[in-house]
Amino acid sequence: MNKLKIMVLDDEPIVCKRLKPALEKQGYEVDTFTQSSDAMEQIKNVNYDIIITDLKMKGVDGMQLLTEAKQLSPKTEVIVITGFATMETAKESFHKGVFDFIAKPFKLSEIQEVVSRAEAKIRGE
Amino acid sequence: MRILFAGDEHPYSEYALKETIKLAMNTWADVTLLGVGQATNPAEDAPVGRALRGYRDTFLNSWSREDSPYILGEGKYEWVPVKNGVVEEMKVLTGRKKDFKVRLRSGAPAREILSESQEDGSDLIVLGCAKGEKCEWANSLPAPQQVVDDADCSVLLVKEQQPVTRIVACLDQGYISQESLEMINQMITIHNARLDLIGLSQNGDMEKSVYTRLIEIGDYYSDRQVEINTRLMDISGFEQLIAQEIKQDLLALWLGKKSLLSRFFSRGWVGRFVSKCPTTVLVMR
Repeated sequence: MNKLKIMVLDDEPIVCKRLKPALEKQGYEVDTFTQSSDAMEQIKNVNYDIIITDLKMKGVDGMQLLTEAKQLSPKTEVIVITGFATMETAKESFHKGVFDFIAKPFKLSEIQEVVSRAEAKIRGE
Repeated sequence: MRILFAGDEHPYSEYALKETIKLAMNTWADVTLLGVGQATNPAEDAPVGRALRGYRDTFLNSWSREDSPYILGEGKYEWVPVKNGVVEEMKVLTGRKKDFKVRLRSGAPAREILSESQEDGSDLIVLGCAKGEKCEWANSLPAPQQVVDDADCSVLLVKEQQPVTRIVACLDQGYISQESLEMINQMITIHNARLDLIGLSQNGDMEKSVYTRLIEIGDYYSDRQVEINTRLMDISGFEQLIAQEIKQDLLALWLGKKSLLSRFFSRGWVGRFVSKCPTTVLVMR
């Protein structure tokens, strides 16, 4: 079975540092970004199966990335993680087709479980 | 985020429920409402059982149907463990987007709340307590303080219903967890509050690691356009700060092994300050 490709975007390096090994251990191929502009360029060139993105970032924010990602590849599942959650951003995220919305702090197991569900959806299980 | 609300049938638990709802509305967290009965076999008509049903209705009715992440979907059959080695097929209604559970446990309240939080992997426990300097639950006096002292995760202790316009976070150690910073972020967002960050020193001296951390945290929030005011104060004035300055504020305390507060004050200082504080307290880990 082919490995799913995951992008992790968070301007806090510690979040990327935590998520990358945890997801790789689950068998995924993971690219991490701390600059949203770099991530935005990357999604134009690489087709990710799953994107995990923070919302509040300098420059391009997570909502813009979510919109662009779904336009470029509607099958990409996007998971939003945010430290500054509001009902409006949660509703907007789901309106834009997010797979799940997770407020920080979270446990690695929570993200792993959501990613597993996203994988099951992608593989049509 | 996983939130565990722990309540009994008394008014302070209703205030804590309101805070839980506010948190859940913003974070769309997985939520468990927990009640603890002291009887060995809590009956459905026990006061705490009735209170939980009311809390469940209040919680679920706080959203319009189309906006709620907790609306129950179609039931599906699942195998559910019922006792050692035995599972039973039950029709289970699951939340549409986020988990929502209502649980009743029996036993000593603090112990049961702590067990539930460990088993559920909670990120935050929310509970209320009586106003005044006692910080108690009506049916189990020391429960709130025991939970604050012994929880693995952060605890939000709600004292009464009142607006929060400022978060007062007291930094007394160089190490603080990423989770605690994130918890403060959510509190700032939910209350639209500003942040006062107080670095605690002793006899005018502050450990280099604490000072460095203070600067880093200041930069962290400034980068995120959070209104932050940073200042230093001597630890000897800490109790006075709590008693006199904390009004419409949320007091946030970090608990850690290298805490200056732990070294300066005798064992049980957290409970003491939580009791003295007239408003809601967030104890972070």
